[in-house]
Amino acid sequence: MAKTAEALYNQFTIEEYFVEEEPFYLPVSDEVELFEAAYAAQVPILLKGPTGTGKTRFVEYMAWKLSQPPATAKRRSKASQNGHLIPLVTIACHEDLTASDLVGRYLLDAEGTRWIDGPLTRAVKSGAICYLDEIVEARKDTTVLIHPLADHRRVLPVEKQGLVLEAKKGFQLVISYNPGYQSAIKDLKESTRQRFIAIEFVPPPPEAEAKIIEKESGCTHRQALALAKLGEKIRNLQEHGLKEGASTRVLIYSGKLMAKGIAPRRACHVAVVWGITDDHEVQRSIEEVVSSIFE
Amino acid sequence: MPELWEDLEKLPLPLQEEFHKAAKTLSLIFKEDEMASWAKEGLAISTQTARSWEAGVEYLKVSGEVAKYLSFSSFTQWTRCGAYLSQDSPSLAVAYFRAGPGIVVNLRPQHIARWAGLGRSMYKGTWKSSTLASKFFEVSPSLVRNLSFWDVEVFAGLIESLSAKSYDLANECLTLGNQALAGMGREREAFLSLCRTQTETSWREVKACFEVVDKSLPQIEESQRGRFLRLAEHLAREGSRETSVFLVSGSTALGKIKPQAQQHILDLCDALLSVSPQAVHAFLRSLDSVLSRITLAQLDTWFDRGARLIKENPEGGLAYFRVESNTSEAALESLSSSLELDRVRGVLMLYCRALSGADIEVTESSELVHKGIGWVSEGHATTEGTKVYLPPIIDRYPSKDENFGWYKVVSTHQVAHIEFGSFLFAFEKPSGLFQDTRLEREKALLAQVREDPEMKAYLRGAEGNWITDMSRYFSLLSDRKLALDVFTILEDGRLDYRVKQEYPGMKHIYHQVQESALESRPPLLELPLRQAMVELLVRFSLEQHHGLMVPRKYVKAARVLAKIQKRLHNVAASVEASAEATLRAYEILSRIPNEREPQEEWESQDFDTEEEFSEEELSKLIEEMGTGAQGEEEEEQERYESPEDIDFRGDFKPELVQTLNRMRSGQAPDGEDGSEPLTKEMLEELLRQSAELGMQNEGEDAEAMAAFAQNLMKEAGVTPPTSRPGQGYGPIVHVDEQGGALEAREPKTYVYDEWDFRAADYKPKWCIVREKTVEEGDLKFFGDTMRNYAPLINDVRRQFELAIPESFRKVRRQPDGDEFDLDAAVEAMIDRRSGITPSEKVYWFRNKQERDVAVVFLLDMSASTAEAIDEGRPMVGDQDAPDDPVEYMMWLRSRREGLVRRHYKRIIDLEKEGVALLLQALESIGDIYGIYGFSGYGRENVEFYVIKDVEESLTDNVKKRIDKISPLHATRMGPAIRHATAKLVQQEAKTKILFLISDGRPQDRGYSREGVEKEYAVHDTHMALVEARRLNITPFCLTVDKSGHDYLKAMCGDMNYEVLGDIWTLPQRLPQLYRKLTI
Repeated sequence: MAKTAEALYNQFTIEEYFVEEEPFYLPVSDEVELFEAAYAAQVPILLKGPTGTGKTRFVEYMAWKLSQPPATAKRRSKASQNGHLIPLVTIACHEDLTASDLVGRYLLDAEGTRWIDGPLTRAVKSGAICYLDEIVEARKDTTVLIHPLADHRRVLPVEKQGLVLEAKKGFQLVISYNPGYQSAIKDLKESTRQRFIAIEFVPPPPEAEAKIIEKESGCTHRQALALAKLGEKIRNLQEHGLKEGASTRVLIYSGKLMAKGIAPRRACHVAVVWGITDDHEVQRSIEEVVSSIFE
Repeated sequence: MPELWEDLEKLPLPLQEEFHKAAKTLSLIFKEDEMASWAKEGLAISTQTARSWEAGVEYLKVSGEVAKYLSFSSFTQWTRCGAYLSQDSPSLAVAYFRAGPGIVVNLRPQHIARWAGLGRSMYKGTWKSSTLASKFFEVSPSLVRNLSFWDVEVFAGLIESLSAKSYDLANECLTLGNQALAGMGREREAFLSLCRTQTETSWREVKACFEVVDKSLPQIEESQRGRFLRLAEHLAREGSRETSVFLVSGSTALGKIKPQAQQHILDLCDALLSVSPQAVHAFLRSLDSVLSRITLAQLDTWFDRGARLIKENPEGGLAYFRVESNTSEAALESLSSSLELDRVRGVLMLYCRALSGADIEVTESSELVHKGIGWVSEGHATTEGTKVYLPPIIDRYPSKDENFGWYKVVSTHQVAHIEFGSFLFAFEKPSGLFQDTRLEREKALLAQVREDPEMKAYLRGAEGNWITDMSRYFSLLSDRKLALDVFTILEDGRLDYRVKQEYPGMKHIYHQVQESALESRPPLLELPLRQAMVELLVRFSLEQHHGLMVPRKYVKAARVLAKIQKRLHNVAASVEASAEATLRAYEILSRIPNEREPQEEWESQDFDTEEEFSEEELSKLIEEMGTGAQGEEEEEQERYESPEDIDFRGDFKPELVQTLNRMRSGQAPDGEDGSEPLTKEMLEELLRQSAELGMQNEGEDAEAMAAFAQNLMKEAGVTPPTSRPGQGYGPIVHVDEQGGALEAREPKTYVYDEWDFRAADYKPKWCIVREKTVEEGDLKFFGDTMRNYAPLINDVRRQFELAIPESFRKVRRQPDGDEFDLDAAVEAMIDRRSGITPSEKVYWFRNKQERDVAVVFLLDMSASTAEAIDEGRPMVGDQDAPDDPVEYMMWLRSRREGLVRRHYKRIIDLEKEGVALLLQALESIGDIYGIYGFSGYGRENVEFYVIKDVEESLTDNVKKRIDKISPLHATRMGPAIRHATAKLVQQEAKTKILFLISDGRPQDRGYSREGVEKEYAVHDTHMALVEARRLNITPFCLTVDKSGHDYLKAMCGDMNYEVLGDIWTLPQRLPQLYRKLTI
């Protein structure tokens, strides 16, 4: 772990970003086993589900979990054992993400040009878990780039350098995708889709969600239960005026505010009601639900 | 005298006779010399002119009668006046004399001359004026009888000045006035003064006023009538032309409020009068509807706001007082504490959906009642499993928030029925909290009734044909009414508890509502025993446990009831637990006779015990009670009445709901297929058994039962409804332009606001847009157009196809991109070498922005598009006849057919052709598009024709519809644009375009102010376009009206528009413009 300028901020090179502390993750079903199996079998993974259902947290958790030496979980995580650790490369995809952004590009230098590896290339080289978040946001030509990596070939062609990079053992491609945004334009191509196994993420059941909220936010058990109920009720409104229900994330946020002493109703207003919709009527209804649930 | 007789003999015979007759009577009254003088006068009158003998006859006829009342000198005066009149017009004199006997009774003698003068002054020497004057004399007796002479003089003066305008009108007014004025009191003077004022301004109104006054004035408090009339007069002086309308509507409005308040309203009117006389009328007109929403005290606040507004903005203020502006609505809204369901329906619906997770609709209770399926109470909340029905208006509390709170409690309770499974009762499902006894009881009952022929229905059910689990359950208990009451109380109590647990935020308000429900409960002491015990259960369910009066001998029973009820206070309690609890409570209650108990036999008890219910205690109690009331003679008992409703809990009809649910899903309760389908007979049987319909006598109204069953089946969609389409919706709303907001009652109708530029405010819900699909015509039109414009089409298509690659072009000199832009890079290197700061824009990238356009075309289908365009113009394609002989023949034929079919072209035809061409272009470029036409008549009938809906794909049907586009009615553009905008907003495209094609300025009935200000329509259209643009839609207007420049500038503002100089170019120009607009 290379920490430079420690006093001011932490900075890691891409290959050296490890998940060292165990992130809190509460498995909802068999997703952990599936991930482990896919990792062992070198099958790329597609995480599907609405925002705030724990996709990113899950990947972090798996990066940590897979880094643990088998059956000796207690002796984990000292710098000397870096060899076991699996780096986690997260790339947030956006509309203007180009192939060069992922693979790398030549930069002008005093002497001429210098090649800089892109994050994907570096993940391939270091055998990292590469997590492409919100893959549908990226341009179609960019998504095609990962095709050779995502099938049996496991290679990344670097055209500009005239190279083909073979993925290091341990390299794992994970992409996430939110079908809620589905419009004709933002959909995954079939050819991309069918290169992945898909693990579906849904909001956890209320009890599990309450546990997550309680653990993450530090609010009381009662508050966590109430928040989970609120989440459940708001999700009932999906497709009736709401595009997406309240995610666990916003519920946690309001839990955090409550833990810091904000009145529950107020906390829900700022974290949940105003966050998830601008429609006045829907806001009003959700506020009514909030005021029903919280005293 | 003898010389007189001689003269007399020269006169006509009838005159002589009359003379003798009168002389006989008069000789008793008059002295000798007086007789002589009378005879002389009579002779003089009769011989004055050729025709004056008629007057003479009349004079002689009445003089006997008149003489009875007048002294001789007055008589002479009367006679002289008549003689004088007779000189002018004998017929006038006839009328004068004829009125004599009636007049002299009531008129003071000294007024006679003045009275005669009144009649005389009406006579202007013409035939018409003499009729009028005669008429005046004719009605005079009744006038002087009812009016003071002073009033008669004023009235006569009024009639005279009216006669200067129109004799006919004056004549009619005379008759009308005679009747109308008679009924008046002190306000007569004011009324006459009002009429006088009007003779100067709008004399025609006078008659109307006379007509309406006797109907309208009595509605007003007597002391205020004069004031009201003075107000009307003031308005008339200010130029109001509709005084009669004001009289009617004003008095109606005032009549509806309390007499004491009328003065206050008139004070307000006076205050308004000084600012804007017009507004007074508007204010009075809307008074009734305003007062139905707010109280008189609140009216002042509402009024003040309007009065302030009207000083700054007269038009806006006027609209405010008409309650045709949003400001006014908002003011009313904030003032009135009563809450209408319509205003919060959306919020409540989402709220209910959120709680239940089901697709719940929220609607008014009356709707369910009208369905006639068993629910009868319009004021109560209820649910039938898919919808929550609420009362339409809540006015229980002094503030809106509290009233909303009530709605919330009520709907939460109804949703709780759904959320916590009231209707999911399953007979065989264990209750968890009680020992389940349902199956045992059923077995016992079966054994008992197997032989009983009266229980056939029960047995049929028992063979596995229960319609619902609920009815199977209720069949266990012989007194179904009691069973239903107990079950309702216990189940509602369970839900109340559950809601308070699940929604702690509701605790407080729920508690309040329960408290206020308790306040209105009847005293236990006053009820017969069984009802008192049921009432006790109600109290327990409302969480009252202290200080309850209980009959001494049933204290133990009451304690057990309390414990049974208490057990349901558990989040784990299910509907089955309620059912088991009901069985137990029923056991107890059915043993209590419904008799009166003397007061001293009651004592106060507390029931907040921590003890748990135990089955042993119950069975011991039952044993002690023995058969109780069950065995006793019914005669001593009072008839059992259900406890009073607890209004926040509404109606609960579990059996009906289960029946409906079952019919909807078309399955037996246990989900087994293959069970008998539900027949109408079975339904009727169920309804007869059920206590939920509240039928008192068995067998009562077999017809009603059949109707219920029929309605239920219809509701569940079991039988196709036999009603005509559209039935069940209200009749077409016909409201004139002065009316208020409209409401869309039918499917595919939409309501939109309209912009009133002078008021600078929207008129809320002003227009109804009715969406219809154009009927399909012949495909031939489309084909012909394609052939006629073949070269043009190819051209258009090529242009559009070319447009696609354009969007993939390279964008050079970018700060980042796919590759170096070589030119820029070289320049940059050179710059660097030469020591200049190089540009960093050295990349290029492909602009791969996809074309993402949605467009809506809006065609003007108004009647004016039927205008023929000048003939003689060669058809397009004339010049390029095909070279190929076969094609040429076809071309020729198509042309000939075209010529035979129609000799001229209309604007609409060109619009149609343009659309057909566009279809081709749009299909080739792949944009999302919709094509609509609009027309209409009046604000309640804005027709919006779908030629191709946005979602629809181009089918032959669409092409056929184009044929049927035809000129219809008027052009109300605003609502059509708003509706098209609403359609576009739903599209996700990045670029949205609204393309309006019209042939002239917008106009419609009432789509202008007072029919003169065309600006109104233009401004509304402008506002509609501005609204569209605010929603990220690009509007574009194309018009073929050559004079379009003047108003299009106002209508479109800074938005794009084009006036097509040459109409014939429309089909070509349309695709061109579209291309320009989107690329």
